[in-house]
Amino acid sequence: MATRRLTRSEQLQQTIMYPVDWLEERSGLIGGVRYFLFRKVPGDINWFQTLGSATLTAFIVQALTGSILAMYYKPDPTVDPTTKLPVAYQSMQHITNDIFAGWLVRGMHRWGASVFIILMFMHMGRVFLFGAYKYPRELNWIVGVLLLAMGLGEGFTGYLLPWDQTSYWATVVGVNINGTAPFLGPFLAQFLQGGTYINADTLSRFYAIHMLMIPGAIAALIGLHLYLVVRLGVTSPPWSKEAAGTGPLNGASPNGNARRAGLSRFGRR
Amino acid sequence: MASDRIVERRRVFQQYKEDVKERGKPFYPYAMFHDTVMSLVVVAVIVGLAIVWKYTTPGNHIGTQAGWLGKLYDDPADPGTINFVPRPDWYFYFLFYLLRIFKWPNSVILGTIGLPTVLLVLLLAVPFIDIRSERRLLRRPVALVASALVIVSMGVLTYKGATAKESLGSELIAKVPSWAKTEHFTGNKEAVAGAHLFAVSGCLNCHTYNGTGGGFPGAPNLSAEGAKNKGITFQMNHLKCPACVNPGSPMPSFAGLGEDNLRKLANFLEASKGGK
Repeated sequence: MATRRLTRSEQLQQTIMYPVDWLEERSGLIGGVRYFLFRKVPGDINWFQTLGSATLTAFIVQALTGSILAMYYKPDPTVDPTTKLPVAYQSMQHITNDIFAGWLVRGMHRWGASVFIILMFMHMGRVFLFGAYKYPRELNWIVGVLLLAMGLGEGFTGYLLPWDQTSYWATVVGVNINGTAPFLGPFLAQFLQGGTYINADTLSRFYAIHMLMIPGAIAALIGLHLYLVVRLGVTSPPWSKEAAGTGPLNGASPNGNARRAGLSRFGRR
Repeated sequence: MASDRIVERRRVFQQYKEDVKERGKPFYPYAMFHDTVMSLVVVAVIVGLAIVWKYTTPGNHIGTQAGWLGKLYDDPADPGTINFVPRPDWYFYFLFYLLRIFKWPNSVILGTIGLPTVLLVLLLAVPFIDIRSERRLLRRPVALVASALVIVSMGVLTYKGATAKESLGSELIAKVPSWAKTEHFTGNKEAVAGAHLFAVSGCLNCHTYNGTGGGFPGAPNLSAEGAKNKGITFQMNHLKCPACVNPGSPMPSFAGLGEDNLRKLANFLEASKGGK
């Protein structure tokens, strides 16, 4: 193969693109990202359809602030002999009052939880009202419901961690309610508490569930949720005159342009 | 018929894909711009809430006094306190209030587990119940009414849960003499002392006694508990570990009160024969 001397700018371009090409050749990731970014979405999508990504943002805020809190928080209910305070409570107080911007990180985590849950409900309401759970997106609705349940589980397990009166007694009742469930209830309650009553192991157990088990499952399910969104596409608002997929009844016409003329007017049964 | 529907919905989806391909716009930058703006709003709201939480706390913005958004933290957890009113975070208020609607012992399981499970299963089943392809809301009257009902009832339950007032111990001591009179245990010193303990130990946060008290989470009415003649020992064991004596009971242990106090409480319960 005849080689030609590359110009300066071609050389530069090759140098810059080398790592990108390297990565693409070995993983296909660049193509994947490009597909994700430049995939087509209906032209008539509206602001209500940003609620899903807003929920994802809230989850990312929770993951980041939670990781920072985990650097300082100690899930230990034993009482410190010098201060007469439970170690967990003391570390929460330390985060709130002493550590630089600790109050901000804890406040963002505390209120981010509420925002996350509100957004999940709003996103779900939007999907319901748009009828966006219908064929072929049923599976993604199910994944979403599981995410909602796990989000509430995060709320329940995280509420105990400050180890103050509010969190302790809310958890006592919450665990006892779990215990009333038929068959599995007592086992569930015992699993949550790490025993037959709330004891020293309960807190570390809630902590492990709150920061490892459920977040891991949520992250995995979000991945599946997004995969399905990208694979199946975003729906048009149902009221849109231009709504994608609302072709005419005689939609057998192979000519896209002819079909477009009748869009949505006669497309419904 | 059913297979017609399958063919039809496949055709509609195929057309959706073609329509999006022909007339759609790329996710980046159009949709991504909206998503980014919305996400920034979300982060700003979260930071704003954290700032309001901290800087409306009275004093030098630390400690256990409540600001606009409530306390930064409460007193440390103390399993020995028994008159603390349990309260979940606000997004569980609807569930919390649901529990008050059901009464012990037969239907409480409906409130705690039955109804939430049914709701969860219904929610999971939505795409399989509503299998028509119609998406416009006005042509989905059942979905429209169902969603309106859900939103209204969740709103009402959350509001009721947020404003529900539980009984507080100190106000209830005043009722002890009238209890003793109605239940005929005025002369029984142990029982009167037990009634005082009963009033201040948070029992009425859940239980009802002579028309006073909570009903959270559907705990039994104890006005005629003594009429069952279960005995002092049973009552004491039950107070120490309710679930050991009565499997599945959600009641917390009151062992922290100590033997003497438990005996008084047990005497009080056994003396409560429902006024007969």
